[in-house]
Amino acid sequence: MKLKVYADRLSQPVRAVIIFCEVNGIDYEEIKVDLANREHLTPEFAEINPMQQLPAIVHGSFKLFESHAILIYIASSFPGVADHWYPADVYKRSKIHSVLDWHHSNLRRGPTPVFRSPLNPEAVAEGEKILSAALSKTESFWLDDNRPFLLGQNQPSIADLFLVCDIMQVKLVGETDWNRLLGPYKKVQQWIENTRNATNPHFDELHKVLKELKEKLQN
Amino acid sequence: MKLKVYADRMSQPCRAVIIFCKVNGIDYEEIKVHISKGQHLTPEFAEINPMKQLPAIADGRFKLFESHAILIYLACAFPGVADHWYPADVFKRSKIHSVLDWHHSNLRHGAAPYVFNTTIAPILGRPLNPQVAAEAEIILSSSLSKLESFWLKGNGRFLLGGNQPSIADLSLVCELMQLEVLDEKDRTRLLGPHKKVQQWIENTRNATSPHFDEVHRVIMLAKERQQHQRLKAAKNEGGSNMKRPLVSRM
Repeated sequence: MKLKVYADRLSQPVRAVIIFCEVNGIDYEEIKVDLANREHLTPEFAEINPMQQLPAIVHGSFKLFESHAILIYIASSFPGVADHWYPADVYKRSKIHSVLDWHHSNLRRGPTPVFRSPLNPEAVAEGEKILSAALSKTESFWLDDNRPFLLGQNQPSIADLFLVCDIMQVKLVGETDWNRLLGPYKKVQQWIENTRNATNPHFDELHKVLKELKEKLQN
Repeated sequence: MKLKVYADRMSQPCRAVIIFCKVNGIDYEEIKVHISKGQHLTPEFAEINPMKQLPAIADGRFKLFESHAILIYLACAFPGVADHWYPADVFKRSKIHSVLDWHHSNLRHGAAPYVFNTTIAPILGRPLNPQVAAEAEIILSSSLSKLESFWLKGNGRFLLGGNQPSIADLSLVCELMQLEVLDEKDRTRLLGPHKKVQQWIENTRNATSPHFDEVHRVIMLAKERQQHQRLKAAKNEGGSNMKRPLVSRM
């Protein structure tokens, strides 16, 4: 019973789910749902996810949407997923829930306005403000312990994957802005690199789409 | 080592956590942090939660914030919590995660700014923002429709077809109870079309009785104060100039 992952790699949470599946050797099938062609708005896809958003999964007769819920499900249901991704320890696990929830209302709100309305300076400024505040909190609190990953951990969890994939979306605005926005945050930069190394070559493979889109936008 | 719950009962997620503790007989101490007095912004509270938000808990040396994370922790860490609150079954549990996540970006994202920018802001010394309220209302309406047509699909009394409440029911219903402080005509306009939602709120209230009403007393008091102020404003305007129309709450 192969897991089906409905995906468009331009979506940050989609990338997190696919990288996780690749890293953990999950047997899955990626079904492309092209956001640019509005395929997520078709009645067919509404059968999969009535909220018409990505990612969504189907596992046998079980359907699920919301990326955090999806990775928790996969981490809990598939054998061979190492504990550090979603620890059984209730304290560690609770902290992961905490940062994932914080992510919804903070980091996740940052990059999106920048890309939804690139010609709207107000929206871009607002998005940048949110992003900077979130990066600052990540630097000073979530990465407080000088360990390679969030929450003082030595190995990545699903939280690292989600947050890093979101920040990577900023690559779309170009190297100058990336350096400007990320520049003040040394721990964040190192942590992005740590997450990338821990999940390569899949991390780079999945983020190729951003490079390709950026080149398309520049031409 | 008693659990400490840092809370202001005017906050929707605080109420969910407190009701959960009471219903499940969890031994806890409620430490009031008054948002209207800015107590959540003090350096003392930043030690508890550097994000300076409520609710937060301290269980011995373990501190935690974000209400969904807190509810899940309490359901897992305290004995005697019935399975239906946060089922061990991975499929049921995943669906609960799904609706809790959806809640962040939908119901909460609509309801909280709508209520704040039409009604609550002045209580906290902030201005009302009709534009934000209008945008939030669109999200709120859409969320209510999705609750009615999808999350409450089927014949269950609770979300996801359940016949007993989960932490998701508590979290979302507490959010909707904030609508009580609205002008009655707005509240009726928003909730009126959604019969299943109304029934589900009642089901959740009954399932957590008498704690639900007790914990919501502050909101019902705020509702009365708001109604009183609206009546006063309407009387003053009617008395001073009969031709001037009533100020729109939007």
